[in-house]
Amino acid sequence: MAFAYFLGCIMNNRYPGIEKATRIMMENLDIELKDMEGASCCPAPGVFGSFDLTTWAAVAARNISIAEDMGADVMTECNGCFGTLFETNHMLREDEDQKEKINKVLAEAGREFKGEVNVRHLAEILYNDVGIAKLSEKVTNPLNLNVAVHYGCHFLKPSAEINIDNALKPTILDELVEATGAKSIPYKDKLMCCGAGGGLRSRDLDVTLDYTKEKLDNMTDAGVDAIVNVCPFCHLQFDVGQTEVNKKYGTNYSIPVFHLAQLYGLSMGLKPEDLTVDAHQVCVDSALEKCSLEDIENLDKITGGE
Amino acid sequence: MKQLKRLKNMLLREEEQKETDEQVQQPESEIETKSKQTETPKSEIKTSDTEPNQEQNDSKVSEAEQELEPASPNLIDEEPKEAEEKVSEDPKKVEGKPKTTRSDSMTLLEGRDAETITRAEIDVNFKQAVMDAGAETLSLCFQCGTCTGACPSGRRTPYRVRTVVRRSLMGFKDDLISDDSLWMCSTCYECQERCPRGIKIVDIVKIARNYAAQAGYMAKAHKMTGSYVIKTGHGVPINAATKALRKRVGLSELPPTTHEFPEALEEVRTILKTTKFDRLIGYNWETGEIE
Repeated sequence: MAFAYFLGCIMNNRYPGIEKATRIMMENLDIELKDMEGASCCPAPGVFGSFDLTTWAAVAARNISIAEDMGADVMTECNGCFGTLFETNHMLREDEDQKEKINKVLAEAGREFKGEVNVRHLAEILYNDVGIAKLSEKVTNPLNLNVAVHYGCHFLKPSAEINIDNALKPTILDELVEATGAKSIPYKDKLMCCGAGGGLRSRDLDVTLDYTKEKLDNMTDAGVDAIVNVCPFCHLQFDVGQTEVNKKYGTNYSIPVFHLAQLYGLSMGLKPEDLTVDAHQVCVDSALEKCSLEDIENLDKITGGE
Repeated sequence: MKQLKRLKNMLLREEEQKETDEQVQQPESEIETKSKQTETPKSEIKTSDTEPNQEQNDSKVSEAEQELEPASPNLIDEEPKEAEEKVSEDPKKVEGKPKTTRSDSMTLLEGRDAETITRAEIDVNFKQAVMDAGAETLSLCFQCGTCTGACPSGRRTPYRVRTVVRRSLMGFKDDLISDDSLWMCSTCYECQERCPRGIKIVDIVKIARNYAAQAGYMAKAHKMTGSYVIKTGHGVPINAATKALRKRVGLSELPPTTHEFPEALEEVRTILKTTKFDRLIGYNWETGEIE
């Protein structure tokens, strides 16, 4: 199995530990990741899609055309990139007029969109192509963590097109998280947005932080040790945004944040430094200490049969 | 016994009433038929109902009765009386209700003339333009408001997604695109997931924003994000701290993207010039600044 590995922006340019963890994990799972040389910003669905849909689709189609040249399906681990690339791919495959229009733009840059590859999300590949059973076998350090799973928006929605899981009642990420030995804790409005998307974070930070605070309140009420996400932008929002919420509201939240790839990295025995979790704004030590507890009896009690 | 027979007749009639109503309403749209089916029995039973559309419903009921009578001769015996009673009963009740018509002396209405919406504010082509731009489902909206009920932004901001759809439908283009709250949607799709008409609401929002951007309603911060893509190919470009982190964990200092391949960045720039994105955000190629 091989994929064209789409990096995007925030993961590779802010949280390289997510990229590192992914590269190691996929090697461990015998999945080849081929670099998409010269790929750019996806570009962000809420921001660029809001400015000019033609520009948005054209830049996205250029990125997809790189994967087409490589003859491999695209893999991304960012909900925003997934949303942009999936939706563009879907739209241009369905709508010949749009495809023609976008290809006219791409021709100027010597590119062509053919519609030959699929766009996949890391979490969906892990779940459907690798499977929970095989993933569980690879877990060498079961994690003793109570986790608030954050799905984000563009991973499952719009579900009519994406069709990965029930968007209002999903289980895919909870199952993936629990395969590491951690426990997914239910919390109020779990499927709510982190508040960063759609250009909100750059334009109306106060609104964004109000969303994030509500999420953090609900997660705190549920008593979690960490937040796990599948989107570097949500990741940034819970990491950097958490410190911004504390500053704005005088609160004292300190919930460690992990991307799913980092969580798997920990469960597969990678060093926290390799996951660059030490560079996060919110200190992750409380979670790391808890993961390394060797209280097996307690571990069984928490993760057994759930 | 007579009463029992009367009751039976009433029930029978109600059953057939429903069927006839369905037939009568068929030429109307699918949505309206549905609502009539459920509302008709209600209006017959609850005569003291205070719904404003009571009168309308009743007139529909009597229309249906007229059509029904010749088709069901077995019920004719007692029917006419019943129907007459009903018809004469209902308008009375409606009349007896306190009227809610507004008088000119209401202070709340003073000075409202200036805010009255006129045809001049309607862009008759806007609805079709939004539909042609990819939101064909726009015309299906029946304004139920489920979208606004599902919206996490609406819980904390003046953003009301139902009115975005409404204004797109009605052609209130200028009102819509000049509204700051249009930018308070985080594109989370909760509205779209719950829309009972399957409308691609987020596409409508994005299309409306495209019009807003063209009309100059684009925040400086958003233009800056756009300028980063022109300059580097990334909305969030790399910085010195991340370069060091990448190196530390054994990754290439620059990711294998437009950061590492200048010719790839040129391709992206060509695309952005072709679609005139640079002009849209007012990017000055010489200074690299937003004008």
